[in-house]
Amino acid sequence: MTAQIAIVGGGPSGCYLAQALLKAQPDLQVDVIDKLPVPYGLVRYGVAPDHQGTKGVIRQFARLFERQGARFIGNLAVNEQISLDDLRAAYDAVVLAAGLPGDRSLGIPGEDLAGVHASGQLTQAINEHPEAADLPRLGKHPVIMGNGNVAIDLLRLLAKTPEELEGSDAGPGVSAWLADSGIESLQIIGRSQAGQAKFDPVMVKELGKLAGVTIRVEGAEDSDDPEAAKKLAALAVIDGHGTGRRQVTFRFGLTPVALEGRDRVETAVFRTADGGEERIFCTAFLTAIGFRAEGALERDALVAGAADAEGGKLGDGLYATGWFRRGPRGTIPENRADAQALAKRILAEIPAEGSGKSGRAILEGLPDLVSYEGWQRIDTAETAAAPEGRCRVKISTRARMLALSKASEELR
Amino acid sequence: MNITLLYGTETGNAEMLAEDIQSELEGGHEVDCQNLEDFAPGDFDRDAFYLLVCSTYGDGELPASAQPFAEAMAAAAPDLSGVHFAIFGLGDSEYDETFNQGSGKLAELLASYGATQLGERIVHDASGDDLAEDLAFPWAEAAVAIAAEKLSEAA
Repeated sequence: MTAQIAIVGGGPSGCYLAQALLKAQPDLQVDVIDKLPVPYGLVRYGVAPDHQGTKGVIRQFARLFERQGARFIGNLAVNEQISLDDLRAAYDAVVLAAGLPGDRSLGIPGEDLAGVHASGQLTQAINEHPEAADLPRLGKHPVIMGNGNVAIDLLRLLAKTPEELEGSDAGPGVSAWLADSGIESLQIIGRSQAGQAKFDPVMVKELGKLAGVTIRVEGAEDSDDPEAAKKLAALAVIDGHGTGRRQVTFRFGLTPVALEGRDRVETAVFRTADGGEERIFCTAFLTAIGFRAEGALERDALVAGAADAEGGKLGDGLYATGWFRRGPRGTIPENRADAQALAKRILAEIPAEGSGKSGRAILEGLPDLVSYEGWQRIDTAETAAAPEGRCRVKISTRARMLALSKASEELR
Repeated sequence: MNITLLYGTETGNAEMLAEDIQSELEGGHEVDCQNLEDFAPGDFDRDAFYLLVCSTYGDGELPASAQPFAEAMAAAAPDLSGVHFAIFGLGDSEYDETFNQGSGKLAELLASYGATQLGERIVHDASGDDLAEDLAFPWAEAAVAIAAEKLSEAA
């Protein structure tokens, strides 16, 4: 017998953890469980559809399931179809790598007005997540609140011309929504000053390739700090870019205090750095201000009650990695480093030969689980049906995913 | 000929490619594969041939696992004359301004201490249509052929 490990969450953190575990100890039984019928989490549903290069890590993860012996178990929600306690009883270690699926809210009046949308929900809709809400109407003058990479992703997608989505996996619905948006201006507003913005400079410089925009950067103050200087330099590169119809404006040092409007948001009210008030007209207000825990795993309670949450240990045989462990900071490489460190710890703490627990036998009889082969059938269908100019067309409902995953088994 | 594959990686893509190249070359040669972060400037051996695989990260920078190596090189300032290498880069043309600068920087670093690059630096584009190994395997075979000639001349 060998030790059996269940990883809850098949996104980059979970996959990198499985990779590090199996590299160190190839005979381990590693099961990667996801609540969706499809793997890869935010690589599939968070990384922007026009950043296919970033999604290239999927080739590593595919190898995990195809050659390194990890098992994918999709369409299984922990604490809904099986309790976390039962899973812990069956496996030598359970690792929570389920990310942070909820949107942080601003906590200001007017946030529930129509036309106010959080980036997590909007990103899910753009990426055709099966549980996403409909794509919203944004009007001619949306405002994006936030200065991280998620905000820049939204800005770039909303600013792009249809031609600039060539080679992406943006679906027909999203592509039409973007092409017909009628957006005339896009303002992106940061609470902090420009030098303290959270985006990666390379993400900002990428905006300097956009064909349909005119970019203006307002109020980016100088800084002596080297990290701040890099951000300011990137902003300086794109300031004044283009002569396109769509006006893109960067603003800084504005703290949102209220959203106003009759039937939907019309005005965003901000406090300025010197204590004044500024009112900005908008037809939609998109918040990209971070993520939080949500759902049946009750992450915050688990982390709060943990002896060593910082070190990734939540309890006896229970671990956490990625955003689930550290909060919504850091990109794919940081989650890889996190997973590699945790893999070492787990291997040092669990018995290498296992302890004779039941392992995946506990999952027997659960309905509609999707195997890696099931995902491969979905994947093949998605790439085979890709229209001209797209590398894939995602299946966007759980029912169709499940039907496709089973397709050839029914033929036998 | 002893071949050492050295990789600089950030997301693991360069590591996977280096391991694939190792499997591809094994059989005909002794091939060792190491992460640059585990390789010291004093480890270079003039009788071996070095195949480097390196990505780019952030704003055209060296990937995380190549950075400690670059720092160690700067501190040790080794004499690498007589050391031969070839280099393959991984990048993403979505960021065209800094496309594949990581592998370029690594090649310059080795050359600046006297090492000799054999063949052209070949680069893969993550936003392109090719698979990295489809470019890298022929690159490695060709580089090894050139090196076999060079190193036998020197011997």
